[in-house]
Amino acid sequence: MVDNSNKYLLQVHELKVTYFPANGDPVRALDGVSLDICSGEVVGILGESGCGKSTLASALLKMLPPQAKCEDGSILFRGRDLLSLPERDLRAIRGQEISLIPQDPALALNPVMTAGSQVSEVLRSHLPLNTQQRRQGVLDLLREVGFNEPQEIYSTYPHQLSGGQRQRIAIAQAVACRPALLIADEATSELDVSLQAEIVTLLSQIRRQHGTAILAISHDPVFFAGFADRMAVMYAGRIVEVASTDVIFGRPLHPYTQALVRIATSSVVTGAAKSARLPVIDGETPNPTSLPVGCRFEPRCCERMDVCSRRYPPEFMPAPLANVNCFKYGEHVD
Amino acid sequence: MRTKTLALVAVIVGLHLVLLFAGFFAPYDAASQNRDQPYAPPTRLHFINASGFHLRPFVYAWTANTSSNQPGAYSETRSVEYPLHFFVRGSSYKLVGIYETSLHLFGVDEPGRIFLWGTDGYGRDEFSRVLYGGQISVAAGITATLIALLLGCILGVIAGYYGRWVDESLMGVTELFLSLPWLYFLLGLRAFLPLHLSAIETFFLLTGVIGMIGWARPARLIRGLVLSLRSRNYVLAARGFGASDFYVLRRHILPETFGLLLTQAALLVPRYIAAEVMLSFFGLGVTEPIPSWGNMLGALQQYSILVSYAWLLAPAGALVVTSVLYSSLADVFHSRLESSLT
Repeated sequence: MVDNSNKYLLQVHELKVTYFPANGDPVRALDGVSLDICSGEVVGILGESGCGKSTLASALLKMLPPQAKCEDGSILFRGRDLLSLPERDLRAIRGQEISLIPQDPALALNPVMTAGSQVSEVLRSHLPLNTQQRRQGVLDLLREVGFNEPQEIYSTYPHQLSGGQRQRIAIAQAVACRPALLIADEATSELDVSLQAEIVTLLSQIRRQHGTAILAISHDPVFFAGFADRMAVMYAGRIVEVASTDVIFGRPLHPYTQALVRIATSSVVTGAAKSARLPVIDGETPNPTSLPVGCRFEPRCCERMDVCSRRYPPEFMPAPLANVNCFKYGEHVD
Repeated sequence: MRTKTLALVAVIVGLHLVLLFAGFFAPYDAASQNRDQPYAPPTRLHFINASGFHLRPFVYAWTANTSSNQPGAYSETRSVEYPLHFFVRGSSYKLVGIYETSLHLFGVDEPGRIFLWGTDGYGRDEFSRVLYGGQISVAAGITATLIALLLGCILGVIAGYYGRWVDESLMGVTELFLSLPWLYFLLGLRAFLPLHLSAIETFFLLTGVIGMIGWARPARLIRGLVLSLRSRNYVLAARGFGASDFYVLRRHILPETFGLLLTQAALLVPRYIAAEVMLSFFGLGVTEPIPSWGNMLGALQQYSILVSYAWLLAPAGALVVTSVLYSSLADVFHSRLESSLT
């Protein structure tokens, strides 16, 4: 095996996460997810609700809820397996090397602490700075995330800020220690479209200035356009296709990606046409407690073959750093 | 609403100051006896004598009726008037146990006596004893509350935050403690422990026992709160930034439990004062010569005394007033907490 640990910042290999609810059957949320992220790269994860996007985000920081268990696989960050690291070392990594921008900034900030002090706390837990240096650091960060009057923002409470401002505070927290990887879990889905664009611009700018790799997670394909270098499409706990953003939007390979992109682009172009019925993918996502043996998308796929329901399609690599799991591509011995 | 709350807080603070500075507010020492005046009824304050109305009240001395065989039959000797004076020098005492002084808020000239709430069987001033006894009883209630809340807070936070088997085993223990008939348990436990202890040992034993039994309810409440706080997004976010458990507990979780602790404290203090009173009433708590509301009421176990000398019920009255004040305070805290949560 070739040592790729220098090339890749993060290598997720065959990650399997299962939820064991107190009452009910276990749910396999991630079923063999593999994904590589290079330094300074923006990778987007696209998928509908319940496909395991957020589980992946929390698994990367080893912050799964207590009822979830990482059953198999590895997460190599700079060659170290996060899954086997003790909690103490993980704490040093969280915030300093891998940071999370939380889903809902309104809830992710403590309502009784000032915005500045909450950013300051991140610096305090990782860097040996004195009070003055920390304050200066926070003010610089606030300016960096787009506040023109950081002094005033420093002492405001979260409820006095707008949704976009709160999201900027959360981003300031996340980038405070200059992490190598930023995970943005639905970072803009709570915001309106114009604010979304601003946040995306801000994230791109952070990536340009500091070479931060970003793993962005969203259910909205449009979010990634012009932002992500590569995209991974998730369906029912597995990544079905990874390709550069241009390929995903231009000529996607997997039937699910094709359907998603068709819907996304058609709603942009013909959304105003009242008479036209919006395109949908027929059928429903499979029940996560009893997943099919074969391709997960097979029951809804319009190009399904006999083999699709018998076993899971192997990986086919049409290009470097891209792959697709579909029987339509590559050679198969059946 | 606001003025009512302020008035309530002022009254409660006032009550505690009076108890704290009992030596100043009490005209006599708690132990000083007047063997010639057992069960003297409350001294009456007079404003009018033969020469008309006086702004400064005065008292007459009690003379025991020698014809009656039952003590407590007294009549006023009208020959000498003892006017009431404020800020008088009397028996010396230590203020808050440190500063020695002999200044009292009020008093009358010797050989006159002023017994605002009468005297007990040894001729000791009931009013002074209620104040001194209140020091012991309220201090016992507050100390026991602090012990119970400290234990409850620590165990509740641990159970709620760490969850899983820690939670289950700790909550099993709280259920055990909650299901105990606490009064009988308290009596049994106290009876099991040595009877002859110094006053200070008894005090700490008593508060320790009450606090040890009482931690279960606050622990459950705190645990529930921590359980919901733990999954708040800002707690998850803090952990995502590499915060340690200790940090999360200190900055995000403990401050939020403060309102609940305050409400619980206001509820528990009167309960634990009553528990102390009950144990001392049965002779298992603080014993003579140190007065406490409980051992003062203990004298009323004799039926003849209970029916003849109503003024000896003063400690019970003080207990009721204190309990009502604390319950009202708990109400205020509770409504504040409710409005802050919604």
